[in-house]
Amino acid sequence: MRYAALLFNTSDDWERWRGLTPEEAAAARAEEVPKWEALFGFVGPRWTAGYELGDPATAKVVRVRGGETQITDGPYAETKEVLGGLALLDCEHLDEAIEIATRVPLVERGAVELRPIVEH
Amino acid sequence: MRYLALIYGEEERWDALSAQEQQAEMEDYVALSNEAASVGGAELQPVATATTVRTRGHETQITDGPFADTKEVLGGFYVFECDSIDAACALAARIPAARHGAVEVRPVAGEEAA
Repeated sequence: MRYAALLFNTSDDWERWRGLTPEEAAAARAEEVPKWEALFGFVGPRWTAGYELGDPATAKVVRVRGGETQITDGPYAETKEVLGGLALLDCEHLDEAIEIATRVPLVERGAVELRPIVEH
Repeated sequence: MRYLALIYGEEERWDALSAQEQQAEMEDYVALSNEAASVGGAELQPVATATTVRTRGHETQITDGPFADTKEVLGGFYVFECDSIDAACALAARIPAARHGAVEVRPVAGEEAA
């Protein structure tokens, strides 16, 4: 069974990141790297795709109404928790996906939502 | 650069469509999947199948259901490889859910235009 792991962090995290100088951001990122490497080491090939998303402030929202395309700046929803990334997991069962989710670094502050994928 | 097009819509709407309408929308989704710029994506099962995981301190909290209880929900996504976010938005406008819900286009981290 394949699962999408929706990785939520918080708007506070994004605020903090925006306040950092490029040097501070690089240092903060370097601090995070070993945590993610530990996760990838545990998950192995079951992690079939992963996407770290850019700042939600850079998002655009697209709607089409009456044949007209409307594009607005900013994320779709202004919420305290923000989608920060997304991964696809190939697991035998849900418990396996849950075990992986508990090891995602941001699960300590945010949350991981697991959703089975529709197989076409 | 890669962009994620996050597809938000109401789940009940799909069930209310006729088989013919569903077929027509599916064809639009497949046509987009077949575009050269479309390099990934997935359709998610309904939010009723979701499981949400948190850890606080040393405690793991597992709850049934989606992380956020909203009317419009994330139903799937495409990954588009495009030269600009405008080009990604033009593709996103062809996603059927853009006509009744909304599509959020977000750059993949570190790949934003300079």
